[in-house]
Amino acid sequence: MVDLSTDLGFIKLKNPVITASGTFGYGEEFQDFFNLDILGAFVLKGIYKNPKSGNSPPRIHETASGLLNSIGLPGPGAKELQKIVKRIHRLTKTPIIINVCGESDEEYIEVAEIFDKMDEVTMLELNISCPNIKRGGKCPAQDEKHTYKLVNQIKHNTSKPLIVKLSPNVNDISSIAISAEQGGADCISLVNTFLGMAVDLDSKRPVFKNLFAGLSGPAIKPLALKLVWETVQSVHIPVIGIGGITSGRDVMEFILTGASAVQIGTINIVEPKASVRIIKEIKDIMKKLNIESLDEIKGKLKI
Amino acid sequence: MKEQRCFVKENKKINENYFLMKIKSEYISKNSKPGNFVMVNVSETFDPLLKRPFGIFKSEPPFIWLYFEVVGKGTKLLSNFKKNDKISILGPLGNSLPEFKNKKILMIAGGRGIVPIFYSIHTYSQHNDIFLVYGAKSEKDLNLYEEIKSKKLKKLFLYTDNGSVGKKGLVTSDVKNIINNNKVDITISCGPEPMFKTLVKKIEHIGTENYISMEALMGCGFGICHSCAKKTKNNNYKQVCTDGPIFKMEDIKW
Repeated sequence: MVDLSTDLGFIKLKNPVITASGTFGYGEEFQDFFNLDILGAFVLKGIYKNPKSGNSPPRIHETASGLLNSIGLPGPGAKELQKIVKRIHRLTKTPIIINVCGESDEEYIEVAEIFDKMDEVTMLELNISCPNIKRGGKCPAQDEKHTYKLVNQIKHNTSKPLIVKLSPNVNDISSIAISAEQGGADCISLVNTFLGMAVDLDSKRPVFKNLFAGLSGPAIKPLALKLVWETVQSVHIPVIGIGGITSGRDVMEFILTGASAVQIGTINIVEPKASVRIIKEIKDIMKKLNIESLDEIKGKLKI
Repeated sequence: MKEQRCFVKENKKINENYFLMKIKSEYISKNSKPGNFVMVNVSETFDPLLKRPFGIFKSEPPFIWLYFEVVGKGTKLLSNFKKNDKISILGPLGNSLPEFKNKKILMIAGGRGIVPIFYSIHTYSQHNDIFLVYGAKSEKDLNLYEEIKSKKLKKLFLYTDNGSVGKKGLVTSDVKNIINNNKVDITISCGPEPMFKTLVKKIEHIGTENYISMEALMGCGFGICHSCAKKTKNNNYKQVCTDGPIFKMEDIKW
């Protein structure tokens, strides 16, 4: 029997597979495909205080093994999401993670407080790294001081475990990760999407109205792995690896690099049952490598 | 909806750019309705990464048919599939047209827009009078006559931009007269966006009930990624994949 569980310190997950925000809806949509109970945890689509309609199309552009998106986080607002959370909690006991968004620090705090009060919610993930809300994509994650201050304020106002999701669009990921840790983060997740750009030769215009968009998918995996490695080397809190994961093998590579768990993103929209396949592949790889628990491989990269 | 690995039973080249693919799927063929579409995995690699949406052209259990034009990388790959190749498909997806009885229905198809229209003719022609307007750029873009002619149609109007088949002109040219002369109750149309824009101006206030089947750039096909947003008259976004692809013409902001 292989043991897929992973201990984040504040919670033990039955396996390291978490579905990433924005690629898994509110979970309900995947019920037709598989039983949500199999997941380690799932992150709901990012939420602001008020309803948001999202960016004007086009919202996606395919690249070689990747996907640029400028969706703009459409959502029903915090009040409506509370109802949805209650509904999905009745469907599954898999830990629910709320991805907290905000256009201002005040909004972040307000949204975090709303979901902090809900028993159905296990953890909060602070989305300080969403790059495509405003033109140019500036976000708290690009500034150490802002990251520290925001994380610190949220920690003061909430009691649930806090994951801070970092942006890869920074010069020095370590300093941002350390700021988040010092601010009181219980866990770091990374990476969010890489800023990219696409142009249309026919119209001689950028494809996206916001000019830049976020790149995800298999194309970013090596970039993500490098940033996860750097983060693991810099902080003492657990790290959740995200970026282009499509297979059990990819998951094991992130864990070997030092991640305690992973988030599965873009592949969910391509292959709805990807998580089921990936969990099975992890088991098969563990058997093949003759390891009984993930701790035997976690962070054991030989340098 | 289900994702399945299916067998391609035939991938028939109709002419240089158009293909009709027959796929065996008991589940999709039995559960699909006019307007539904499928997401097709055109490559086992991650390039291209996304599945591609295709309307269902015909469904006769255990088979479905897809009619497609080679326009880019994805459709080029799809054109290379051979008999007995396996292909992953997710479906049936999207909403569908309501049921109609004893109505005079005008179907308007521009180019590849014939796909959901053909399926609709097949479904509705038993209990309704069907009029079809079908147009495309030129003769090579106006395909599947034999299949279309085999259906029970009250009248068929053909158009090409260059006059190589049927009347020279746009598919929308005489729509207003056709509706008035035949006392049409309902229109169902599918085609490129400019066709819809012209059509709206011509028939929005004519008194018919107008359904359209929309195309959009899609990511997932089942409501997760929010890529296929279309603006509605009241400035909200609807998702073509789950709120559509069938919409009332007057609900969309043109």
